Amino acid sequence: MKQRPLGDVILDVQNISLSFGGVKALTDISFNVREHEIRAIIGPNGAGKSSMLNCINGVYTPQHGTITFRGQTFHHMNSRQVAEMGVARTFQNLALFKGMSVLDNIMSGRNLKIRSNLLMQALRIGPAEQEEIRHREQVERIIDFLEIQAHRKTPVGQLPYGLQKRVDLGRALAMEPQVLLLDEPMAGMNVEEKQDMCRFVLDINDEFGTTVVLIEHDMGVVMDISDRVVVLDYGKKIGDGTPDEVRNNPEVISAYLGTSH
Amino acid sequence: MFYRENGQFKTSYKADQQIFPIAQDRWIIVALIVFAFAGVPLLASDYMFRAILIPFLIFSLAAVGVNILVGYCGQISLGSGAFMAVGAYGAYNAFVRIPDMPLIPALIVGGLCATAFGILFGLPSLRVKGLYLAVATLAAQFFSDWMFLRIKWFTNDSPSGSVSVSNLQVFGLDIENPLSKYLFCLGILVVVALLAKNLVRGAIGREWMAIRDMDVAAAVIGIRPMYAKLSAFAVSSFIVGVAGALWGFIYLGSWEPAAFSVDQSFKLLFMVIIGGMGSIMGSFFGAAFIVVLPILLNQLLPLMGELVGLEISTAGISHAELMIFGALIVWFLIVEPHGLAKLWSIGKQKLRLWPFPH
Amino acid sequence: MAFFLETLLGGLMAGMLYSLVALGFVLIFKASGVFNFAQGAMVLFAALTMARFAEWFPMWTGISNPVLANTVAFLIAGAVMFVVAWLIERLVLRHLVNQEGATLLMATLGITYFLEGLGQTIFGSDIYKIDVGMPKEPVFVLESMFEGGVLVNQEDVIAAVIAAALVALLSVFFQKTVTGRALRAVADDHQAAQSIGIPLNRIWVVVWCVAGVVALVAGMIWGSKLGVQFSLATVALRALPVVILGGLTSVPGAIIGGLVIGVGEKLSEVFLGPYVGGGIEIWFAYVLALVFLLFRPQGLFGEKIIDRV
Repeated sequence: MKQRPLGDVILDVQNISLSFGGVKALTDISFNVREHEIRAIIGPNGAGKSSMLNCINGVYTPQHGTITFRGQTFHHMNSRQVAEMGVARTFQNLALFKGMSVLDNIMSGRNLKIRSNLLMQALRIGPAEQEEIRHREQVERIIDFLEIQAHRKTPVGQLPYGLQKRVDLGRALAMEPQVLLLDEPMAGMNVEEKQDMCRFVLDINDEFGTTVVLIEHDMGVVMDISDRVVVLDYGKKIGDGTPDEVRNNPEVISAYLGTSH
Repeated sequence: MFYRENGQFKTSYKADQQIFPIAQDRWIIVALIVFAFAGVPLLASDYMFRAILIPFLIFSLAAVGVNILVGYCGQISLGSGAFMAVGAYGAYNAFVRIPDMPLIPALIVGGLCATAFGILFGLPSLRVKGLYLAVATLAAQFFSDWMFLRIKWFTNDSPSGSVSVSNLQVFGLDIENPLSKYLFCLGILVVVALLAKNLVRGAIGREWMAIRDMDVAAAVIGIRPMYAKLSAFAVSSFIVGVAGALWGFIYLGSWEPAAFSVDQSFKLLFMVIIGGMGSIMGSFFGAAFIVVLPILLNQLLPLMGELVGLEISTAGISHAELMIFGALIVWFLIVEPHGLAKLWSIGKQKLRLWPFPH
Repeated sequence: MAFFLETLLGGLMAGMLYSLVALGFVLIFKASGVFNFAQGAMVLFAALTMARFAEWFPMWTGISNPVLANTVAFLIAGAVMFVVAWLIERLVLRHLVNQEGATLLMATLGITYFLEGLGQTIFGSDIYKIDVGMPKEPVFVLESMFEGGVLVNQEDVIAAVIAAALVALLSVFFQKTVTGRALRAVADDHQAAQSIGIPLNRIWVVVWCVAGVVALVAGMIWGSKLGVQFSLATVALRALPVVILGGLTSVPGAIIGGLVIGVGEKLSEVFLGPYVGGGIEIWFAYVLALVFLLFRPQGLFGEKIIDRV
């Protein structure tokens, strides 16, 4: 049972169309996300799910459509602006900073909150040092939460895949986001790792009230933890509703299982 | 046995984040610095100062600057020679044209000129990377070559095209003999290296490394690529500019534009590669290597030649130098792309366990 | 007007020479994604080999037929470049297969230094002649249209013809032969090419050999014109802007880029130079490349560079 009731619409995607040259990645997609909910985006491979997240994040610019975040409407998002507004994300292919340790990777997520300037950082006196320590404390809380204390000084490139995914999540959490976009956070994990990750996602949603938009392939996970689901196929929206509604939608079934002729 | 960290528990984040967390390291560094300031002057000859130590100090400084740009921020630069030149001529003009200009402010002015130049020629980094960026930095190099050769104002309308400085003083003390030059450079190096280390282990350092490792992801967590890249160019060229000014003022005394040609740029890049990219300490290793190697070869090769009955001319030595440089670059890139610094830290790891094998 | 034409033609000829060197860059980049900084050193090495063997041949065999000497020297130099290519693949490239572009670039920088040192150690560092019998005297053409005629260097014309022939040959090689097709496959995607059985290592040796031959031809022409000396290695630096302009992956781009830069350099030097103190040839090409980098990094004919998240 959720601690917080679902709030108003926090993110509204309207009529987004995105194409690369002749390839139409997204066609006229509209859906909304309510505050504190867990919204899943599902669909076969190539349906455009990651592209949708990339549009929200400002990595891609859609040709048509708008995105409204907390009442402000944008035709195209600027990555930095989006981050400042409190949207964080993880990546399907783990865009971690391979040359840095786990601690540094997660600390890099705090950079928007750093106030000291270049000179103060160079001298590393008083306020600059205090700020480093404050952020370190925050990051250590996240490391605790994700149970990766033993690896904090390890270069991320040396960690196994499952742990790297946790670091990716940690870096997104370090931004103290209001909306968390997770791109296949459980890909490539075994049952236990998936359970751990589910637990993290639910805890984040419960304790911090973070709204979660989640791309996932594992139907069991999706049906279990999400409040509402959007289904994409070939760049078009073919389903939108609660997990039960979507499960029984004939179009969705045929997209996944194929139809008999 | 000697290098164990047993009992060194950190009870505060401040302690955990310091530059040398292991106590033995701290003692060694302090001892090294004390030796550099007090011991070396007693032991080194004038030749050692002039031929080895002073170039080592100045190149270390420049290598730190280049490492920040290339190693930490991942922006390839083949224009470091130009930044040194701008620093040198900037400092020269400040020194010569402004009456009673003291030395250190003149050096800083040189550094600031290099910063402006660096930011200007760093703008292409916002559009391109890798080889393409290297070409853009080469544009800076050749443009600077031309600028200081053809625009007479920079060289104070000197008829021969070369400039010179003399009567250098700091706080009333002359720095004309090799010992005082050495101490001056050492002081500047220690201060700048400390500031640089603070930068790279702080927030801006993480931004630089994030841009280096994956700039799209960096943008998504809110890092502004423009600010990060240009700040790397700015800080790097400031340091390299000051090093260039020191090179001209302290080491050469009088110089012409050819002193800062594209060969210098390559040299600095090699120092960073061999020493270790993304490592302040590596910059020192690389500089030491590049400074000492030619001298070593100069002594060793004729000896080895005698053993085999070959006579090796000075030209032969310089050709051999080229070959050995090239081979070493390739060898390092294949075997240990993280350079001497990585070998050093592997060595330390083994030392921590010694005498146990694992 | 005649003077303008002369400058223009001179620029075109110089540009042709740049194109030859740029061609080597493009070939290797197209097939392996490696930017071979050492191309200039290869030009020097090839030219040195040819020049010295042409000198030594009469001394060793007593036959003093210059055509024979040059031909033999050319063939020996070609063989040497094959060996160099094979060694580079074996000792360097093979071990750096999955590294990023920056590492490979710096490795080729290392190879550059090595080749320069080796060449001078084996062959010496004086200026050597390559005399392939190209006519050295300039001629006047178009005397009917312009009074006094336009001064043209015969050597340059012949060089242009040779370069054009080389480009035609290479185009045929790439488009029509099996190896050429394999090279194009490798350029597109290493792994995919490997998975259909294309032997990556052998392909790379082939590519570097071809680049070596191109370097030899370039070295022969440059060397005949300027004499074979150490500064020939800096030719790589002169040709870099050409590939930026033309596009790193385009053979026609290398040609056109070379011509544009050659003409641009000459014209700007003659007509702009006097206003800014002269000597702008050293940076003109680079600043032009810089402008392209800011607005059209892929050059005139290259493929757009895309980053995938």
